[in-house]
Amino acid sequence: MTIDRRTILQAGAGALALGLAPQGAFAQAEAFRIGALNPVTGAGSPYGSGMAAMILAAVEEVNAAGGAGGRQLQVFADDTQTNPQSAVLAAKKLIEVNKVNAILGTWSSGVSLAVIPLVNDANILLMHTSGAPALSVPPANAKGHGYRFQATNDRFGRAFAEIAVKEGFKRPATMAFNNASGIGNTQGFKRAWEAKGNQVVAEVVYEPNQPSYRAELQRVMAARPDVIVMGSFLPDTTIILREAFQTGANVRWIIPGWAANPQLVTALGNEPTEGIISVDSVSNEQAASFARYDEAYRRKMSQPGASNVYAAMTYDMVIALALAIEAAGPGAGTAQINAKIREVSNPGGEKVFTFADGKAALKAGRKINYEGASSVLDFDEFGDVTPDFGVFFITRGKLERRYVVKI
Amino acid sequence: MLSYLIFALTIGGIYALLALSLNLVWGSAGMVNLGLAGFFGVGAYASAIATGAGAPVVFGWGIAALAGVAVGLLVTFATLRLRDDYLAIVTLGFAEMVRLVALNERWLTSGADGISGIAAPMKAELGTGGFNLFYLAVVSLIVLGVWWMLARLDASPYGRTLKAIREDQELARFAGKPVLRFKYEAFALSAAIAALAGALYAHFQSYFSPDHIQPLITIYIFLGLTAGGVGRPAGAVAGGYAVLLFIEATRFAADVLPGLKAVEVAAFREILIGAALLIMLHLKPQGFLPETMPKAPKP
Repeated sequence: MTIDRRTILQAGAGALALGLAPQGAFAQAEAFRIGALNPVTGAGSPYGSGMAAMILAAVEEVNAAGGAGGRQLQVFADDTQTNPQSAVLAAKKLIEVNKVNAILGTWSSGVSLAVIPLVNDANILLMHTSGAPALSVPPANAKGHGYRFQATNDRFGRAFAEIAVKEGFKRPATMAFNNASGIGNTQGFKRAWEAKGNQVVAEVVYEPNQPSYRAELQRVMAARPDVIVMGSFLPDTTIILREAFQTGANVRWIIPGWAANPQLVTALGNEPTEGIISVDSVSNEQAASFARYDEAYRRKMSQPGASNVYAAMTYDMVIALALAIEAAGPGAGTAQINAKIREVSNPGGEKVFTFADGKAALKAGRKINYEGASSVLDFDEFGDVTPDFGVFFITRGKLERRYVVKI
Repeated sequence: MLSYLIFALTIGGIYALLALSLNLVWGSAGMVNLGLAGFFGVGAYASAIATGAGAPVVFGWGIAALAGVAVGLLVTFATLRLRDDYLAIVTLGFAEMVRLVALNERWLTSGADGISGIAAPMKAELGTGGFNLFYLAVVSLIVLGVWWMLARLDASPYGRTLKAIREDQELARFAGKPVLRFKYEAFALSAAIAALAGALYAHFQSYFSPDHIQPLITIYIFLGLTAGGVGRPAGAVAGGYAVLLFIEATRFAADVLPGLKAVEVAAFREILIGAALLIMLHLKPQGFLPETMPKAPKP
């Protein structure tokens, strides 16, 4: 038999038609549109581009596994400028022009609180990494469409109180950076601590970007506390601890993990940081999902994944959302997808670490529990993640995890 | 797309009001007010707190304007001896003061959490789409009203006196004009308009926080007014809308430029905004609708 041009063309056309067939099936179902609304510029800029990149990476992963619920995911990105006024305009554009079905990755509380009324009006979902407790409850979260991938500051505060009891502290004082996050930490601590019948000996709220915090430190030390509970960030914590060390303040510290980290030890050295108690939500660094995230982050940003906790959260947002879309089935609307988010991420099902595994398990009719890269990713009735807290002690410049606190 | 345009035009109207406010005090009276965001914030909080306590929304807007007048008089009093750059620095500080007060007086403003759920007038009756249209109409009517009023003022002997003060304060005083009173009045009226703009914004968004009182908005309004034409109310209105629409248009750059990273798109937008300002200042240093100076009558 001779192979002529016509046979080849026919064979080629046949192969092409076969190759196109599955894509034809996708083309029928409209893509699920995701708005990536991240703090690319402004105060959140150290995290924003990584967050945006990880949304894209996770979407690539989902689409490579054949999409979710028979739909491909499509991303439309915009910048909040870490400013609520710019953020609402960006959100409105994503909602009305790009017709997104969900907005992912707003970072500061002010921005999330400004965007969430628009999200409620448009009846879509918002997944954010903000700490403000106000985002859990009405009016902000009146419809239950908001999901928080970062532990609330209040929850951190409650963990601090548990630790203070366990370590036998009697006279705690608090110092808070003046924003929703900082004050949320120390107020959460105060409430939980006083509920146990104790008292806080001094409370100070300080303004950011000061060259020195000596005055604030003196006010706190005048009350002779045995421990200072901080709601702080890295730059201010560095200055406060240096000045406390210089003045010979004899006091212990409980500090959130984003402020008391290896960079703090590098900045101050071993002696001033000795004995600091650093508290962080137990990130899932041992989980397979973290390894996948880490690999993607290194590939896109040329940095280790652990350097940007918020990027791990945006990565999880896409995977959890895609699994919920898959569980809700083809053509599901916001309400059906919203109803599935807890079902695919909370305990009670088979633990899965990737979208592909979760999709396969769902196809086989099994229940699943997605274990994220940022945390085990279980949501309470307010849509807040409920991580456990790792308690680290800094000894000779190393962070050692001693125990885990459950709230 | 349509409802996005409605949204953008509403915010554009609020920018136009701010530009009108700035034009009165800077364009006409020559007092540089870098504290625009502060007055905007005072109005937003005044109305949010008043309506939160049960006052009707229109009443809240009135209170916002009155709060603007009060704060405007106070700032003028505190800066009487300052001119030009020094006035600019102090007014910039004033805006920062408003932000810090809003951040720290938690009993009044609920601090960094901001005020959520600010009453949106008629939203329950009209639904989301209807409310947006209704609010666009309200804001546009207020812009037209204020514009008309300020254009009348501009053409009147009062407006000419303000411009005389702008050009040479001593000469105006020498001609028998009570310079001080004019300054108080102009600043208070301008502050009232900015505060009203803030109140309109707060009730439109139903959320306001200290983060909203950033100097960025002041800078945008200065940009818009410079582009539109300093010293002419029509220029202020055109500039207010133009700056918002231009900034929004750059948002679509991301859609036509695929393959750029998020941070590159953000940088590109900023380049576009900066370049547009440079080009405009080069081609039209007086703005698109420059101030008109009536010729002196022949003797």
